[in-house]
Amino acid sequence: MSQGIKAILIVLGVLVALAAAVFFWGIGRYNQVVAMDEQVNAQWAQVENQLKRRFDLIPNLVETTKGYAKHEKEIFENIAKARTSYFQAKSVPEKVAAANGFESALSRLLMLQENYPNLKANESFLKLMDSLEGTENRIAVERKRYNDAVRSLNTYRRTVIGRFIAALAGVGPAEYFQIPQEQKEAPRVQFN
Amino acid sequence: MLNNWLINIFLFFLLVVPSAGLAVTPPIPAAPPGQVIDLAGIIDSGQKEQLRRILHELEQKTSVQMVILTLNSLDGEDINTVSLRTAEQWQLGQKGKDNGLLFTVSLQDRRYRFETGYGLESVLPDSLLGTIGRQTLVPYFKQGNYSQGIAAATGAVIDILAKHYQVEITGRELLPRTRHNQNSSAASLVVLLLMLLLFSIFAMARNRNRRSSGGSPPIIFPVGWGGGGGFGGGGFGGGFGGGGGGFGGGGVSGGW
Repeated sequence: MSQGIKAILIVLGVLVALAAAVFFWGIGRYNQVVAMDEQVNAQWAQVENQLKRRFDLIPNLVETTKGYAKHEKEIFENIAKARTSYFQAKSVPEKVAAANGFESALSRLLMLQENYPNLKANESFLKLMDSLEGTENRIAVERKRYNDAVRSLNTYRRTVIGRFIAALAGVGPAEYFQIPQEQKEAPRVQFN
Repeated sequence: MLNNWLINIFLFFLLVVPSAGLAVTPPIPAAPPGQVIDLAGIIDSGQKEQLRRILHELEQKTSVQMVILTLNSLDGEDINTVSLRTAEQWQLGQKGKDNGLLFTVSLQDRRYRFETGYGLESVLPDSLLGTIGRQTLVPYFKQGNYSQGIAAATGAVIDILAKHYQVEITGRELLPRTRHNQNSSAASLVVLLLMLLLFSIFAMARNRNRRSSGGSPPIIFPVGWGGGGGFGGGGFGGGFGGGGGGFGGGGVSGGW
């Protein structure tokens, strides 16, 4: 009798230990997927920071450029429009689309300096260009980090266990920040 | 965790791949061996020693970690990519302060870049570094005077840092200053001619007074004394290493 109880107790103990192991393992996975999701959000915030920084620079750049190229109205209007549409965008895909649209308007503005050599000799214009170029580079860096975070979350969400855990934690797939093929080369300025 | 793992793999490749004989130019070391890494061999040895000392002093007084890296070539890569990768790998700057600064020059590509850590972006904004590049570095570089250009640009950066952290970097005086050969080339020419005249008068007077056998040359612009010289090998394990600073692509690039 006492031997039977002992056996039952051992089996129970093992089961409890197993259940505890699975439980804690599950908590670990759960926390991991939540952390991945948070990483994506945090990284997106960094991207937005830099995009905002870029848009803050634009009015100054436009003003300086206008002084040299008054009649290029269309370019300035396109810039203003693209800027507004970014600030009206709400979701991540909308913002990505608006940011990409803005980039093509910006590259036309940057091309102006080829036609107006005086612009290139203006130190305050050059400083604005330094800030803009620096911001473009920061955007590229943060965008890459964001996409890396999205990749690790989305990859995990597609694994056998990850699928289950992510559903449990209510973590959906994240959107990549994709750049259209023709725009892969960011607006770039070179001075010689 | 994942990051550390990736970095380890990366380091492994950095160490193994060059030994396979693929690299033509000397590879960028996996960890910074010191404050001045002159892989292109364009900095005078005396100046190198000065820069090293000044950058060491800068780190002692402000905890800012600045490293100068010269390369022969970027091997087809973009300087922004190479610079950020190197700065991140070396983890320049202190952890939490992110106050690292990597100053890279690539000779064949005729490109330079200042890469600022997160914590220095407000002290050294891109536009300010851009001005330093255009007005201080490029004039020297255009004449092929890389050593002086690098030293002058470093001096200009140090001036700003010293002012911001309210410290005095002794030895900064040994570094050349910005040359304003664009706006005031005529004025500086006049000054130069005057100096020449004074110097030669002085030298002549001295020669007349005591007839030294050598006949001292009239003008020597002190470029890089300091008696360094014997530091060639570059193998000095002074315990220099990155402090865990982070970078986000801040800084400025330029060409000459």
